[in-house]
Amino acid sequence: MKALAKDLERVLSPKQVLVAREDLLPYANDATHYFKSRLPDAVVLPHTTEDVAKIMKYAFQNEIPVTPRGAGSGLSGGCTPVKGGIVMDTKRMNKIMEVDSENMTAKVEGGVVLQNFQNTLERQKLFYPPDPQSATVCTIGANVATRAGGPRGVKYGTTGNYVLGTEVVLPDGSIINSGGNFVKQSVGYNLTHLMLGSEGTLGVITGVNLRLLPLPQANKTVIVVCESLDQAAEIVAAIIAQGAIPAMLEFLIKLAITVMNNFFSPPLPTDGEAYLFMLFDGTESQVEAEAAVVNQICHDMGAMEVRIIEDPKAANNYWTARANMYPLIQTIFERATTEDVTVPRNKIPDFVRAVQSIAAAEGLMIGLAGHAGDGNMHPSVLFPEVNPEAEAKAKIAIDQVTRAGLDLGGTISGEHGIGIHKAEYLEWELGKTQIELMKRIKYAFDPKNIMNPGKIWLEEGEVDA
Amino acid sequence: MLKLDEYTKIIEKCSHCSYCQATCPSFLNEMSENMVAKNRLLLIKESLMHGTVPLSKRAGEILDACLLCTNCTQTCSSKVPIDDIIIAARIKMQEKSSGSIKQKVMGRMLTQRGLTGALGKAGAMAQKLGIATKEIPALASKSFDKMYSGTISPKGEVKKRIAYFVGCGTNFIFPDTGEAVVKVLNHNGIEVIIPSGQVCCGIPTIAEGDLATTQAMLETNIKLFADLDVDAIITDCTSCGMMFKEKAAKCFPDDHPLQEKITAFNANFFEITEYLQKEGLDIKPNSLDVKWSYHVPCHRAWSPTVKDAPRELLAQIPAAELREFEHPEQCCGGAGTFFMEHRETSESIRASRLEEINNVESDAVLTQCPVCRFYLGFQVKDREVTHPIQILARAYNL
Repeated sequence: MKALAKDLERVLSPKQVLVAREDLLPYANDATHYFKSRLPDAVVLPHTTEDVAKIMKYAFQNEIPVTPRGAGSGLSGGCTPVKGGIVMDTKRMNKIMEVDSENMTAKVEGGVVLQNFQNTLERQKLFYPPDPQSATVCTIGANVATRAGGPRGVKYGTTGNYVLGTEVVLPDGSIINSGGNFVKQSVGYNLTHLMLGSEGTLGVITGVNLRLLPLPQANKTVIVVCESLDQAAEIVAAIIAQGAIPAMLEFLIKLAITVMNNFFSPPLPTDGEAYLFMLFDGTESQVEAEAAVVNQICHDMGAMEVRIIEDPKAANNYWTARANMYPLIQTIFERATTEDVTVPRNKIPDFVRAVQSIAAAEGLMIGLAGHAGDGNMHPSVLFPEVNPEAEAKAKIAIDQVTRAGLDLGGTISGEHGIGIHKAEYLEWELGKTQIELMKRIKYAFDPKNIMNPGKIWLEEGEVDA
Repeated sequence: MLKLDEYTKIIEKCSHCSYCQATCPSFLNEMSENMVAKNRLLLIKESLMHGTVPLSKRAGEILDACLLCTNCTQTCSSKVPIDDIIIAARIKMQEKSSGSIKQKVMGRMLTQRGLTGALGKAGAMAQKLGIATKEIPALASKSFDKMYSGTISPKGEVKKRIAYFVGCGTNFIFPDTGEAVVKVLNHNGIEVIIPSGQVCCGIPTIAEGDLATTQAMLETNIKLFADLDVDAIITDCTSCGMMFKEKAAKCFPDDHPLQEKITAFNANFFEITEYLQKEGLDIKPNSLDVKWSYHVPCHRAWSPTVKDAPRELLAQIPAAELREFEHPEQCCGGAGTFFMEHRETSESIRASRLEEINNVESDAVLTQCPVCRFYLGFQVKDREVTHPIQILARAYNL
């Protein structure tokens, strides 16, 4: 490995290369550290697209695997360097190159942290809606690579709906620019959108052109406590039927509320079966009107409690708690795994019941929260204690939950991506023909199979661990 | 207690969510994951907790590069007490070595106040380490304890009596802060008791993993204050505040006889601005035309009100105007004595702080941390950097 270190230091500079074991440890996995881990042989820290291109040329010549990486906050094992080699840490490429308020577009480097970008836009009264809950750390290039979403999916869609162009370094080190700062383009294949969900298997996303919206003037948070799952589902359906599309519409069960409750004053009652967190945005009058409609609907349908939160600070507490739900759950359980099966919105009650019966059959605790507005659910297997028996049961349960989602006309992943953990389910959803086609696309980009190998689909004989 | 084996369970709560990357100054300076809480916990686990891998020089460097600013702990939703674990790791590392020269000098210097040459010694040491003389805080010509001690009564009726813990920053470098504290309290009818024999709070030594020295100092201070018949104990320094409120009890076993006194000490212990804000000002301040910005010290999580208190307190001064920084809570890089041994890192962290300061026009940068005050003050030349209490004293024409 000394030779690799020397080479990389020559290609970049010593301050851009990590090879000591102590420096590589955190790069062995992502937020799913309890699954498969492997230390990379080196981490490189490029500052420019040219740095990335130089490393790719070197890796291509020497057939060394390269795993691109954003914050390392992923939930699919997508940036885990399962074949060793080089991890391409893009976090130093964090310049916002351009914000064009006239054309409502922006260009950023791949390593720009989402929250920093959104804060910059907000000062100019602009808005970039995609909101994976790791926004304080996750990077936009990696958001593109994983088609990241978040609560705002219901009204605003996800990352894919805002990507106008990408700058990508291909495995051989050549640089392509697809799309650009225009909202329409009809020129050949859409290579820009081919990068969506590519999970680092086609190239390194070093730049992204994005579409922006005007910042909504006002917003209002509404919290609803429901006595049953069905009531929650009916309320959601009624609200949307009235044309009041919330910017965020989150579904939570009691267990989630109990871990969050000290964020709220007064705490939420814990005798509800389902909870809805909603945010309406738009003009002042629109937000007022929608909140009133929702309030009326919830009362008419007999919701246990409706809170319309007027104070922005208090409202923020609800959303902060929601964003931190995953780490909060870790405070009580020894481990929590998070899935992101997505079903058509009106199938949520069926899906919730399916998950609950699977949990009962396996004697497991499965937490449930999700983006009710877009059907993206996050069943989470909660381990009071981690042992081989519990792990085996969890595996069975996750298989069944995934199958249940597909049977309801859903998808195995709404926003986390496939990585290594869902690779074994890929065929259930896509079938052999689509996977073979994807493999041929991968080969066209990456004939030496050096870009994030071992991801999205399983190779012959591979099993997830 | 700050013993590493007491954290074996809670350390597993780190879910690698990486949210600590949002606020760790050491990470934000390097932008690589080796320099963040997540990795420090991994290294502590394998080398110091389970001993599966011997502690290497490199692992030591990574642990040493933590500023103990506590931002990661404040950010961590999994509630891993990261700073306590790092302190416990440093204590364990200390036990294995005989301690550095810096620790020995510091231990001697801090356990006895009245060593007037103490900071001079630190200065000489810092020069040896290659730090420019201009970046060593100058000693005040007369330390605070030479100016004020014992009971200082207000002119009229005594409405409250408080005891004042005077930190090293105020005593040796910024006695003007101490003077303002005494005058503002007296002005509001509060009697101030300054027990003699106070020593350093212990934060610099515990940060180095020197538990024995820290315990000795805590014992001295706690015994001096715990039994006083006063309405409250105050400090003007957020790091001293954190040391007493959050760390003191953890420096001793649960059944140690001092625990009771530590609880008594902390029962009514406040930072000066939060104390005044809580009690309410008896006398309304005069108008003072000052545009001020607030650099919130990192050591703020030990009290829920300490970071908003200066904002609310100074809002009572007519004509004083708060001009917020974009990130009021961003670390300055000083971090106690960290800047002496990690010059490059500290300067780089400070550079990004200065950029933000320069983006906001104001007459004063206020902060309750003496280290932030001098470390930013070395470079902020276009306005004063001072303690919020001094602005209030000025508004009272004291």
